Amino acid sequence: MEKRDDKYDFSLYEYHNLLHQNILVSYKGPIDERIMTVIGENIEIVTNDGNDKARTKIFKIFMELAQNVWLYSAESCKTISGKQLGMGTLVIGEFGNYYTFVTGNVVKNTDIEPVIEKCEIINSLDRDSLREYRREQRRLANQGKPNSGNIGLIQVALTAESPLDIELTPVSDEESFFSIAVKIKKTNCK
Amino acid sequence: MEDIHIQGSKDVYIQPTVDFEVATGRCSISGESFLEETAKFYSPMVEWIKAYSRFGKNIDFTFSLTYFNTSTSKWILTILAELKKLEGQGVAVNVVWHYHEDDVDMRDDISDYMADTGLKIDLVPFNE
Repeated sequence: MEKRDDKYDFSLYEYHNLLHQNILVSYKGPIDERIMTVIGENIEIVTNDGNDKARTKIFKIFMELAQNVWLYSAESCKTISGKQLGMGTLVIGEFGNYYTFVTGNVVKNTDIEPVIEKCEIINSLDRDSLREYRREQRRLANQGKPNSGNIGLIQVALTAESPLDIELTPVSDEESFFSIAVKIKKTNCK
Repeated sequence: MEDIHIQGSKDVYIQPTVDFEVATGRCSISGESFLEETAKFYSPMVEWIKAYSRFGKNIDFTFSLTYFNTSTSKWILTILAELKKLEGQGVAVNVVWHYHEDDVDMRDDISDYMADTGLKIDLVPFNE
């Protein structure tokens, strides 16, 4: 068959195969509360293997990280009613004895530095210190102090019982693609 | 001063069930909490507790929240801090929190709230 020059050169089959192995749910596009509700329900269905504790943890982590994409992505679109929605990607995978949850979105380089610093602090702390850090940040937030954000990230690390694997890939002089991955070990959830 | 009754719902957002009774001093928040406008939902409860202080009557507060997001967590801290103030005014304040016995994260979170506010919370595990 002769190849047409104007043919759309994208193999959905290859894309499907790429995602097929170990990936339970993947989504790319605008994220808001409605999308979160639907994907949250899907996650509860695909992780329903009798390990309720793991399922609960994944749901909690999803709610925090997806909300970050919705509210803080530098790439956004507007609904007809004018509501701003953050765009991003999220993937949940299952690999033997653990689940992974990854979210990613475009960020402004000037905005992301404090977030990376927070992630590095979080990753340097053990569970008790993380709990102390969450208490401190929550106190500051209730007093309306600046720079008291990212309690959600502390919550994610505590819930996952694993570090936040962050990655920053420059996409232009001003922006980068920022991703956060966490592992949820099934053995921690027995 | 009036009672607060809010039926919980799980639609796009997740709203807990809330019951605050003036006559008995029995208050409860149960279910899950992920809201569009957290401040709008919880600030009337904080105001209710402040107003209740003038009665000087006992208050029995029961939390049965099994999930809440971080923006809700800040309001829980505010509610508990108000209850602690009430206790400081001589009101008998009893706080109970029902949590799933497997939910270690929730148990830790409640313990941290106790440490933060100095308010005693009775942890009551359940097993469905």
